[in-house]
Amino acid sequence: MSTSGKRGMLGLALVIPSFLILFVVVILPILYAVRESLIDQNSGEFGLGNYIRLFTDPAMRKNITYTLNVTIVSTLLSLLISYSMAVYLRFSTSWMARWINRLYFVPMFVPGVIATYGLITLYGNHGWMVRLLLLLGIDSFPKIIYDYNGLVLANLWFNIPFATMLLSSALAAVPNSVIESARDAGANIWQLFFRFILPLSYKTMWVAITFIFMGIIGSFTAPFLIGANSPQVLGVAMQQVFSNYQETHTSSAMAVFMFLLCSVMGYFYIRTMGKDADV
Amino acid sequence: MVQAQRKMQTQVGTAEQGDTEAQLSIRNLSKIFKTGDGVTDISLDVQPGEMVTLLGPSGCGKTTVLRSIGGFLEPDSGDILIRGRSVLNLPPEKRPTAMVFQSYNLWPHMTVQDNLAFGLKIRKRKKVEIERSVTEALELVQLSGAARKYPGELSGGQQQRVALARALLLQPDVLLLDEPFSALDAKLRMEMREELREIQTKTGMTMVFVTHDQEEALSISDRIVVMHAGKIEQLSTPQDIYDRPGSLFVASFIGRINLMRSISDGQHIAVGSKVVQQDGSTSIPAGACTLAVRPEDLYLTGEPDSLEGTIRQVMVLGHYAEVSIHCEQEHLKMFVPREQAAELHSGQAVKVGFHKFTAFSEVSS
Repeated sequence: MSTSGKRGMLGLALVIPSFLILFVVVILPILYAVRESLIDQNSGEFGLGNYIRLFTDPAMRKNITYTLNVTIVSTLLSLLISYSMAVYLRFSTSWMARWINRLYFVPMFVPGVIATYGLITLYGNHGWMVRLLLLLGIDSFPKIIYDYNGLVLANLWFNIPFATMLLSSALAAVPNSVIESARDAGANIWQLFFRFILPLSYKTMWVAITFIFMGIIGSFTAPFLIGANSPQVLGVAMQQVFSNYQETHTSSAMAVFMFLLCSVMGYFYIRTMGKDADV
Repeated sequence: MVQAQRKMQTQVGTAEQGDTEAQLSIRNLSKIFKTGDGVTDISLDVQPGEMVTLLGPSGCGKTTVLRSIGGFLEPDSGDILIRGRSVLNLPPEKRPTAMVFQSYNLWPHMTVQDNLAFGLKIRKRKKVEIERSVTEALELVQLSGAARKYPGELSGGQQQRVALARALLLQPDVLLLDEPFSALDAKLRMEMREELREIQTKTGMTMVFVTHDQEEALSISDRIVVMHAGKIEQLSTPQDIYDRPGSLFVASFIGRINLMRSISDGQHIAVGSKVVQQDGSTSIPAGACTLAVRPEDLYLTGEPDSLEGTIRQVMVLGHYAEVSIHCEQEHLKMFVPREQAAELHSGQAVKVGFHKFTAFSEVSS
């Protein structure tokens, strides 16, 4: 055998263990779930019955649109807030910025369940906010917990710190002289943002969007504890179908659908990364 | 023609400042940082078409002055005027200055073409005009083929050339250069110096150049501002600064120099066994002083009134040799031609003389 052939075999041998592990713990379960989802829950026949019901059942359709709604709105809000915060932290030298810089990632160290109960305590029907406002003579408070608003709020709490951290490091990588030479050339604050800061950090922005989106669309803890009974997000609905109704095939179909949604996101992510690699 | 004109302006600038309107005028500029570093009471006039270099060790405040001119730092007090008008209240984007930074000058997400055109587009120039200006600017810095490349595809020297072209395209009243060549290797640095000087002659642009490299400053400047610990130590032409350093700091910072402990009686200065007459221009009061002599001003001699010493080392450096001499408690360095160096060896007793020197009283410093 030639030397290059031997080297090729060695390379293959080195890759095989990790590939096998990946195959057993990731690829096989996915294939298994896809097969499960294709077995009709009612008739037991092979086909698209589960999927047809997923998109025709009114309650389920409502769950899907609700999930997409919560996910997209939360993702965009998280991104908007973290991006503004990252820009502020990058360019401000005030004491306020210094304190935010020290504190903003604290939520990442609070376990999800505890944070969710914290939200309930703070914004619930008899929570601190309500009582505080009552002391001030205000008797009305919007419904936050067990509602759409509460879900979005929880998502913001969970996703802003991480996204801010990502974007902060991207903005920190933009050298001062790039910003200063742009101003020197005559760029005003808007041109500075849209022609320099945004293009130089949009790749990381896509990373942030992808992670936030995937995190939210598959979230369970917060929606389970503070979401409404109907409509539900897909994560909670799936758990119910799986555990309460014990419909393995239906829940598999839901899981595969969620996986496809994430794949769309992944596709855009990879395409963005690839585009810049060409340059 | 341009050169002659600039020379004239330079002379006017040094001889009788204030008669012509300075292109750039810094008046009593002070800026102290929280750390205590900074500059105090800097005043400087730069004439049109002049290249003035701010020279000093790191931390001396030269970059602070430059960034204040560019608008990236707000001075605590003082004023900065460009063509007679204060620019202190203008942000960088409104100032008639352009800056070339030490590194990371170019915008990595734009092609060279777009990097160069950006400033002109903002100024709403016509497309044809932009195209022509960019082509001309690239020709000026000898990078005509690079328009479509991204900064990442250029070498360090090419990047700095593009940065220079971009700054020139803005047609600033004053071009500011913040150690633009210090990240380049020695050979390239020399080439860029020559090129910059050539471009300056061609365009007649007023430039303020910051560097910590005294050789660079000596070679390209019309005038040099030597800075030390936030203050101007000396402001003069390169020749003058080299020949007549105004302070011990300038003497030791610019070029190589031998410093000898000596004693003055008011009219004569005694260094070891040699006594020299003070010239009329600078009078050193009686007491301890330091005598500074350039290595090239020392010579081997048989004169009776000279310093006696022993050679410690002879190093041949190409066409000349550097000789270290232990001489009456001082270590001196001098240059001798290579032929003469062949007859010298370590341990040999020699006599050293000099005529040109500068003396600094230790009483005042």
